[in-house]
Amino acid sequence: MELGLLRLATLLYLGATFDALAGIAMQRELPRWLLPRLLLGGLAVHSAAIILRSVAAGHIAVTTFAEALSFLAVVLVAIFLAVQARRPLVALGAVVSPLAFGLVLAADAAYSGARPLPPVLHSAWLPVHVVLATLGDAVFALAFSASLLYLIQERRLKTHRGRGVLRHLPSLETLDRVNYACLVWGLVLLTLGIMSGIVWAHEAWGRSWSTDPKLVFSLLTWAVYVVLLQGRMTAGWRGRWAATLTIAGFAVIVLSLVSVNVLALGNHGKAF
Amino acid sequence: MEQRTIVLVGLNHRTAPVEVRERLAFGNGRLEPALRELIAVPGILEGAIVSTCNRVEVIACGADAAAVGSALPAFLAREHGVADPALATHLYTHADREAVRHLFRVAASLDSMVVGESQVLGQLKEQYGVAASVGASGRVLHRCFHKSFSVAKRVRSETGIAEKAVSVGSAAVELARGIFDRLEDKTAMLIGAGAMGELTARQLLAHGVGSVMVVNRTYERAMDVARELGGMPVPFDRLARYLPLADLVIGTASGEDFLLAPPLVDEAMRERRRRPMFFIDLAVPRGLDPGINAIDDVYLFDIDDLEGVIADNKGARAREAVKAETIIDAEVDAFWRWFTSLDVVPTIVALRDKVEGIRRRELARALAAVGDADPRMGEVLERVTSAIVNKILHGPLTALRRHEAQAGEAFYVDAARRLFRLGADPDDEED
Repeated sequence: MELGLLRLATLLYLGATFDALAGIAMQRELPRWLLPRLLLGGLAVHSAAIILRSVAAGHIAVTTFAEALSFLAVVLVAIFLAVQARRPLVALGAVVSPLAFGLVLAADAAYSGARPLPPVLHSAWLPVHVVLATLGDAVFALAFSASLLYLIQERRLKTHRGRGVLRHLPSLETLDRVNYACLVWGLVLLTLGIMSGIVWAHEAWGRSWSTDPKLVFSLLTWAVYVVLLQGRMTAGWRGRWAATLTIAGFAVIVLSLVSVNVLALGNHGKAF
Repeated sequence: MEQRTIVLVGLNHRTAPVEVRERLAFGNGRLEPALRELIAVPGILEGAIVSTCNRVEVIACGADAAAVGSALPAFLAREHGVADPALATHLYTHADREAVRHLFRVAASLDSMVVGESQVLGQLKEQYGVAASVGASGRVLHRCFHKSFSVAKRVRSETGIAEKAVSVGSAAVELARGIFDRLEDKTAMLIGAGAMGELTARQLLAHGVGSVMVVNRTYERAMDVARELGGMPVPFDRLARYLPLADLVIGTASGEDFLLAPPLVDEAMRERRRRPMFFIDLAVPRGLDPGINAIDDVYLFDIDDLEGVIADNKGARAREAVKAETIIDAEVDAFWRWFTSLDVVPTIVALRDKVEGIRRRELARALAAVGDADPRMGEVLERVTSAIVNKILHGPLTALRRHEAQAGEAFYVDAARRLFRLGADPDDEED
């Protein structure tokens, strides 16, 4: 049941991906309502799958690698739709949809049964820490999407090519603004995520600091984005350079996600 | 009185040179008296005139297509004091469905010099308003024009015909929108106050660009143009100082050396904390150093890039125009069904009257021949002839009524009129 729902969500995200790519290939905007609705359908089905699994596990289903990927996808789609509701940026969906699709596909591939949580980690900190950290990652994924579009749009403008599609991408100014907003929010969430993790570790194991690789990666990510934010606020960094750094920061997040979980390093990789 | 034909006579930018078009144009003051003249023409029941810089068209309704068709060119010639034969080579005449189609195409801007432009619809509305206010238009033209407005709206919303920029100014705006989200808070700088630059700056302002600075070698000229545009004149030697304030720069002047070199722009970018700058070089030879485009967050386009955008968009508009024609076909059909259904009731009445008249005349003749021999003879003949007439008419009348109910094809009305010679020609009535 739960796996079926997950696969239905995968299909809906795939549909959204096709919708966005077809729009680009045909150099013509498809109906603006289609992509958000496909994603909304995916979000509903996907959320149901996660809720079912969480009920069965007795705690929020974010403790296996597959669960973590799936949760990241659902949060990313939810944030995109929330942003989209305030300000139509369908083009961002062209990056968000394949990202969500890839994440759930990976979740499906890594699918495993629920893992029992060690008693020491049974705590209210679990949802708080995980939700904050995942929200941070998802916001940075959105910043990554905007930055990717920025680089594409900027290349087109510079080389005077791809005129036909040009008007269907948001303006550089808009993309840069999305990047900035995501940067600020992502940093706030990442900071809270790290802090909640430290508090929780202190509560569970009595020591708040360890050389947990996930923490090291998180601090590295944090450093990249803090430097970027500092540069934006004081040195007037923007545009291409800001987009490139945003993408670099996101690469660290992806690297941490993959290496920590696939190689099963540290507490985030094996302890639960 | 019946209206059975719509005729449109006119000329446009394809059939007549500007010297002819301007002679035949109806200026604002001339439209009302001309419309009064038009409906005074015998045989014309309703009329309207469309006069823009690219076309002059007279559309009229009447009972007889041939009469209206010959009255309209004569009307145009008389109004403007032009010799009839000289005019004839430039005029086209469309009748009935083709007249309606032509009006729809004009409203939807498919017949325009720049396909998809929106001005013509506004002019059409305004000039139809004049025709309506002087009482020149009636039920048929009212519906025809209002339908043309809604067709234009449909074409606009269902096809991409008006989406693409096809002038230098709007192409510049299209490119600028790739960089800037809002134009309202942006400042443009016009370098070189020539006609081309002034036009482009005007279009940018029309598309919402907040303010404009005008730089020119001759400061007086800069002041003149700045006053025209509601902008700020800047002396040529202060260009470097004001450059950082400009988000969009339109270069229309060129000289021995480039007016703007990369170091100057680099300096400006530093000063404006690298907020993006958009340069368009409209001058030939180019006035802005192409090296400017290599600077980060600076985007330079030249006249060829803009022409490229325009050419792409014209092609796209032509493709959309094909879709628009399909919409117009369907709308012309719908209008024509309505228009011909107007004729159904009068046709039925005319058909009945005619046959009944024949019956009465023949009956009277027969009775006169028979004399008073048998008083029952009159009664019998009356019954027999009525029965014959009713039975013969039953089929045609049913077909005509069904046409009215279903708003079917014009075929039956026309056929009935031809077969039974229900024309306006009074000789037909005599037999």
